[in-house]
Amino acid sequence: MKSPVSRRNHRRFSDLACGIVGAVAASLTLVVLGCIVWDLLRLGLPHLSWLFLTGEVADGGRSGGIGPVLVSTVMIVVIALAVAIPPGVGCALWLSEFVRPGTVPARAITGGVDLLASVPSIVFGLFGMAFFAQVLGLGFSILSGGLTLACMILPLLVRTTLTALQSLPVDLRPSAAALGLTQTTTIRKILLPAALPGILVGVTIGVARSLSETAALIFTSGYATRWPDSPGDSGRALSVHIYDLAMNIPNGAAAASASALVLLLMILVINSFASFLAERWLRRYHS
Amino acid sequence: MTSVSSCSSNTSCTCGGLSLSDVSVHYGNFAAIREVSLTIPDCQITALVGPSGCGKSSLLHAMNRLTDLIPGCRVEGSVRDGVGRELTDPSLDVMSLRRRIGMVFQKPNPFPHSIRRNFEIPLREHGVSRSDLPDLMEKSLRDVGLWEEVSSRLDESAMKLSGGQQQRLCIARALALDPEVILFDEPCSALDPLASAVVEEHIAALRGRVTVVIVTHNLAQARRLADHVGVFWMRAGAGTIVEEGPAEVVFASPSDADARYYLSGVRG
Repeated sequence: MKSPVSRRNHRRFSDLACGIVGAVAASLTLVVLGCIVWDLLRLGLPHLSWLFLTGEVADGGRSGGIGPVLVSTVMIVVIALAVAIPPGVGCALWLSEFVRPGTVPARAITGGVDLLASVPSIVFGLFGMAFFAQVLGLGFSILSGGLTLACMILPLLVRTTLTALQSLPVDLRPSAAALGLTQTTTIRKILLPAALPGILVGVTIGVARSLSETAALIFTSGYATRWPDSPGDSGRALSVHIYDLAMNIPNGAAAASASALVLLLMILVINSFASFLAERWLRRYHS
Repeated sequence: MTSVSSCSSNTSCTCGGLSLSDVSVHYGNFAAIREVSLTIPDCQITALVGPSGCGKSSLLHAMNRLTDLIPGCRVEGSVRDGVGRELTDPSLDVMSLRRRIGMVFQKPNPFPHSIRRNFEIPLREHGVSRSDLPDLMEKSLRDVGLWEEVSSRLDESAMKLSGGQQQRLCIARALALDPEVILFDEPCSALDPLASAVVEEHIAALRGRVTVVIVTHNLAQARRLADHVGVFWMRAGAGTIVEEGPAEVVFASPSDADARYYLSGVRG
């Protein structure tokens, strides 16, 4: 049998070892992020300029800028959000406020939403090409790409909005009813504003996923690098541009890195803005 | 909306009582309360006491039809207001009923918005004009002694208030709608003793102005507050009222054996 002293030492050592393993694992994730950012900065930063951000694509992307690509990207994301947010929030409201959990319709819808969320984006791309581009005749266009992305981020918006609504205090509903408020007023003036930070998080993740999506867009919004005139035009998204520069264009690595840096910055800005808004909202309305 | 009707004495008050006869509440096949009859006198404080699980809250919820919100809940019997209208009538406008019969819950539940917005939402819903809002809000907050404490921060979140302040805000919010009856479902049980005493004081101050029905586990509180008392007990697997009458009579000489033991502290 071990002496009490050696047992105590053994325990101290195992606590220390656990701490060290945890610290190493935690710093590893930072190292990965650091490597990516360092690589992008090293290759991309010399290429980055105002002209790069606003200029037209030239020489397959090796020179010139990414102006039209940025415009197309923003148009695609705006269409995706505008199309996906109303049904996403509506579906979550229906699930949270109008059907009893565990009933057949509720389970059918949540099951469908979860299944949709697990569909690989390349499948969305193929569906978008077949349905929006060909059946609806929208062709390779920003609209086709935006609609395809809308389908892809819809389950995400439903899930995050549903979680936000379900995490509100349950007694908000009876207390609103006891004041003679209709369900419409309760949803519009109490539940939705209170759930807004959660919904905003969902929208932010949706934007980030849309910005970084390649597979769903290659077959739908197309490759065109000219300035888009309308949502009916074909337009190349930033992630598609990076993919093309990295895979198909010899000596495109520098421009690809610079574009990736821009993408990373955009996501960073959007994330910070959303968390700033959510925090402000939380501070104002919740304790 | 009419102006707040305040009564100076019980005799001149017309806020309206309630009369319940043979009220049963079922959740699916389970009977929570069976055949309860009770008279809730006009403008007085009626306390419902008894052990947990006897259906006191269920009865309270049946009075302003919050039972409608619970899936599988069925209410039988008759609930009539002061002028004899049947409140269980399915065709009744439930929203205006709940404006007339307000409720304050066990846990304070202000909306997670500003203090002002907590009044604005229900008052606007019931047709109060924007210009009347500030006065009504101030008056209701003064009625619960909260005006001095919050008048400088009406646009701050109601969630920043202490538990007792939140509960008084909920009472003020219910009062702002000028109800005839306010139902209190154990309004002090989630509060510390000091906050509880303040809330209780303001409930007592409602006597003569609105009809109050309060469910409480605190017998001492019931003794302090009540003009009229109903004692709940289990009979044949469901809650029912075994003793009802003026507080002084019920507390001094209850006729039912269970009620006698419960009120004297021997049981329950």
